[in-house]
Amino acid sequence: MSDGHLFNNISLGGRGGTNPGQLRVHPGGILWKKQGGGKAVEVDKSDIVGVTWMKVPRTNQLGVRVKDGLYYKFTGFRDQDVTNLTNFFQHSCGINPEEKQLSVSGRNWGEVDLNGNMLTFLVGSKQAFEASLADVSQTQMQGKNDVILEFHVDDTTGANEKDSLMEISFHIPNSNTQFVGDENRP
Amino acid sequence: GDNRAASKNSSDLIAYKNVNDVPPPRDCMIQIDQKNEAILLPIYGSLVPFHVATVRTVSSQQDTNRTCYIRIIFNVPGTAFNPHDANSLKFQGSIYLKEVSFRSKDPRHISEVVQGIKTLRRQVVARESERAERAT
Repeated sequence: MSDGHLFNNISLGGRGGTNPGQLRVHPGGILWKKQGGGKAVEVDKSDIVGVTWMKVPRTNQLGVRVKDGLYYKFTGFRDQDVTNLTNFFQHSCGINPEEKQLSVSGRNWGEVDLNGNMLTFLVGSKQAFEASLADVSQTQMQGKNDVILEFHVDDTTGANEKDSLMEISFHIPNSNTQFVGDENRP
Repeated sequence: GDNRAASKNSSDLIAYKNVNDVPPPRDCMIQIDQKNEAILLPIYGSLVPFHVATVRTVSSQQDTNRTCYIRIIFNVPGTAFNPHDANSLKFQGSIYLKEVSFRSKDPRHISEVVQGIKTLRRQVVARESERAERAT
């Protein structure tokens, strides 16, 4: 893989939905370009702090965490791409990709994990969803047990999603000991 | 013993066993999967499944710009007539997703979703309570 590899039909996922594009992985890092031009994401190898793989419906998702706290999610890799890219990250970047699992049980109870500015809702230790706290415009306590997160309304990102997330709230029962006495979180 | 069986049923309802059973995302919009009794919510570019039995209420609103808002409230412990009360003991210490709201430009889609969730939820709740009754 010394000259790098090109992957077509790789979507970049985020707040506004997903955008199709092309991902090039080369010895210097990774470069994603939106189909038809426009947005590009370039990550230098030395800025990558962590890489994750997750099996998602019919395909695989690559998570790339970079130094400044940003977290990119690329979807559309075949199983053999996962093997090849894992090798690449190990040998060229010295990074061991972590494997994450997706929860599809449909339950609404689990744990909340805060890592950098990512909030992850885990069900049975598997990831149900992630949200970036950078997109949260306001947090509110409601009563003693509920926390409301309001998300920015953003019309400018060329979002292609039809239904946009505005608000999420979590109920933290008294029996939960993770966030006791810390009013600033989550 | 029978009581236990009934509570086990409602708390063990599962939308999907396998990642690949989840329908591939078409558009980034709320979808209903009748067969698996699931609603799929677009959160950060992924469709996140929730079993319809976890839903308590669903409602929508429309403002003057034809923008629609849909609000889904989930079952959490400590509310009256909560079918998931058995869970709050079983999963003590858990954090619950209580509510999500979305904005949409498509009023027809939103009203279909609201109706769809209500109907599906009614069917599942009726079936489960019948099952619980038979068990006693």
